[in-house]
Amino acid sequence: MPTPAVSSHEPGRRKTLALLVNTAVAVIGGAFSALLGVFAVRPVRAAPTERWIRAGTLGDLTPNVPVPRVLAVPRADGWYRARARETVFLVWDGAKQVKVFSATCSHLGCQVLWDAEAKKFRCPCHGGVYDSSGQVLEGPPPRPLTTIEARVDGTDETVLVRV
Amino acid sequence: MTSGVGVKARLLEWLDARTSFRTARHVLLDEEIPAGTGWVFTLGSVLLALISIQLLTGAFLTLYYAPTPDHAYESVRFISSSPSGRLVRGLHHFGASFLVVFLVLHLLRVVVLGSYKPPREITWLSGLALLGLVLGFALTGYLLPWDQRAYWATVVTINISRLAPMAGDAMAAVLQGGSTIGALTLTRWYSAHVIFLPALLVGLIVAHLVLMRLQGSSGPVRPKRGAPFPFYPYQAFRDTVVVSIVLLAVVAMAWRGMPPLEGPADPTDANYIPRPEWYFLGLFQLLKYFPGKWEVVGAIVLPGVVAAFLALLPWIDRGPERDPRRRPFIMATVLIGLLAVVGLTTLGWRDRPIAVSADQWTLREIGGRSIAGYSGCAKCHADTGLADPLESIALSRGAEWVSGHVTDPEMIAPGLREPPAARSEREIAAIVAYVRRVSRQPYPGYPANVEVAATVWARYCVGCHIIDGDGGKDGPELSHAGVKDGKQQDVATIRTWIVDPEAIDPLADMPSFGKRLTPEQLDAIAGYLMSRK
Repeated sequence: MPTPAVSSHEPGRRKTLALLVNTAVAVIGGAFSALLGVFAVRPVRAAPTERWIRAGTLGDLTPNVPVPRVLAVPRADGWYRARARETVFLVWDGAKQVKVFSATCSHLGCQVLWDAEAKKFRCPCHGGVYDSSGQVLEGPPPRPLTTIEARVDGTDETVLVRV
Repeated sequence: MTSGVGVKARLLEWLDARTSFRTARHVLLDEEIPAGTGWVFTLGSVLLALISIQLLTGAFLTLYYAPTPDHAYESVRFISSSPSGRLVRGLHHFGASFLVVFLVLHLLRVVVLGSYKPPREITWLSGLALLGLVLGFALTGYLLPWDQRAYWATVVTINISRLAPMAGDAMAAVLQGGSTIGALTLTRWYSAHVIFLPALLVGLIVAHLVLMRLQGSSGPVRPKRGAPFPFYPYQAFRDTVVVSIVLLAVVAMAWRGMPPLEGPADPTDANYIPRPEWYFLGLFQLLKYFPGKWEVVGAIVLPGVVAAFLALLPWIDRGPERDPRRRPFIMATVLIGLLAVVGLTTLGWRDRPIAVSADQWTLREIGGRSIAGYSGCAKCHADTGLADPLESIALSRGAEWVSGHVTDPEMIAPGLREPPAARSEREIAAIVAYVRRVSRQPYPGYPANVEVAATVWARYCVGCHIIDGDGGKDGPELSHAGVKDGKQQDVATIRTWIVDPEAIDPLADMPSFGKRLTPEQLDAIAGYLMSRK
């Protein structure tokens, strides 16, 4: 490239070079901004994965009596693998059906307890009471206890719940 | 429209009165460049662009990186699990290599054209300090992924620092932070990498640029006739062309190649052979020529002499002459130094251990798969279990954690696990080897008889015998068990050795395995050993 003479002698060349420089800088800047932007707002990967996990076997259960089970539910939080502990009640109908309720009261999130004498779930916080099928009997809870999908798996009668 | 232009002009006028942006633009862009300044003077701008990429990508990588031994590796793997993350990490990784290359090219340009001569001595020294800083970045950044190479390269670095005369141990203690290389080392290298070094770097770059502008570009070695020309757009155009090409190359490498991430750091792994990043291979090679008490010569003295020579260059090479053809002594010295660095780097590059093919699983790993199969791991590690299946775990724990997890049911998730069947130490070691392998590479599949032989090997033989570098040293190595004294062994003999060693050699130390192995297992292991040549 010949040494450019003083700029005023060649305004056309000066303009072209300036345009090229500005365009290149804009393209490079734009490309990197786009990449870093995508990287920064990278959405949480997929939806939280649901899985069937083992909550016990029918042998552990008594017909029509809610049995509490603490599940360790694996939760992916980016690179961090947390294990959320969640209490559920398993209610076996004596045959092949198991109903599973979350122990979390629908009112303000306290953990309900099974009152074996009265055959009711009681919430220790604000006096919510549910029957053995999770329906509200008394107190402030606005909704029944949350039902969790469950199935009994064939041969060894394992109770699987979907969390 | 005229009123529109008028408004715009008035607005700019208003802004300029308050910010003097026109003056700033003039200072930044209209620098006078001496006539005859050409393409070789673009290297500084390339470095600025590369450093900007490092600062930007580095800042964004901290969005996801966690500097703790428990999570550093997983967080880096998480970053690499999305296309944008792979690219950003790739740019940071390969950008670092480009940075080192262009630093050296820039340094050579300054040396060859004598640009360090008065009044630019301080600019030269600030440039050398920048080179040192960038190497500091390379060193500290290398540890952050907390994989095997990161960990072991750091072990070596810290041990080298111990060789420094007088202050060696103190220096190592400062570098290491805690009593071992661990959490405290990682956090301090992280702080250095993302806070202290960048602050120094930015300050030094500003100083370097201000000095460069104060004294002006040194230009060609002999002033050319003709008026100086403004930086923008003429030299800026050259800069843009070269910068674009270099950035395209970095992007291409980041796009094509995944930056390496080996297995997670494992301080107990005795078989790992650490190697530094390529730009330290020269130093790495140099160390090999100075064994024992002479090590300090290769590690500290020679690099120190080179650094001192470079720092004193403006005072060694006095006189106004800048033409390289008239400075033969300096040119020859620098050329010899350059050849030495290139030669050492090449030798270091070539001198790598002959590893067993990286894709080949060891017998212990293959055997570990069957042992994990009958040990009940799948009770929890299943699609319907509490934990992911073994094959799909992205393992980031070290061997000790895994072996603790296999041995002790209460170690993780107390009360949730059914106690696993009691296992021998060797079975546990095999499960650990398998789990660590399968998290890096899917099981390639081996013939059933090899799997059976591998299980036997991992349970019994590996305690005393070595195959392919893995095993105990009490008995003879069996990597070539199929051949003895140049002759092919037959299966029957090998089988007899295993069933009743004393039948062949009355003085054999080896116990009899006749009662411990089924006939199928005996056939499999004997057949396998016979095939080893």
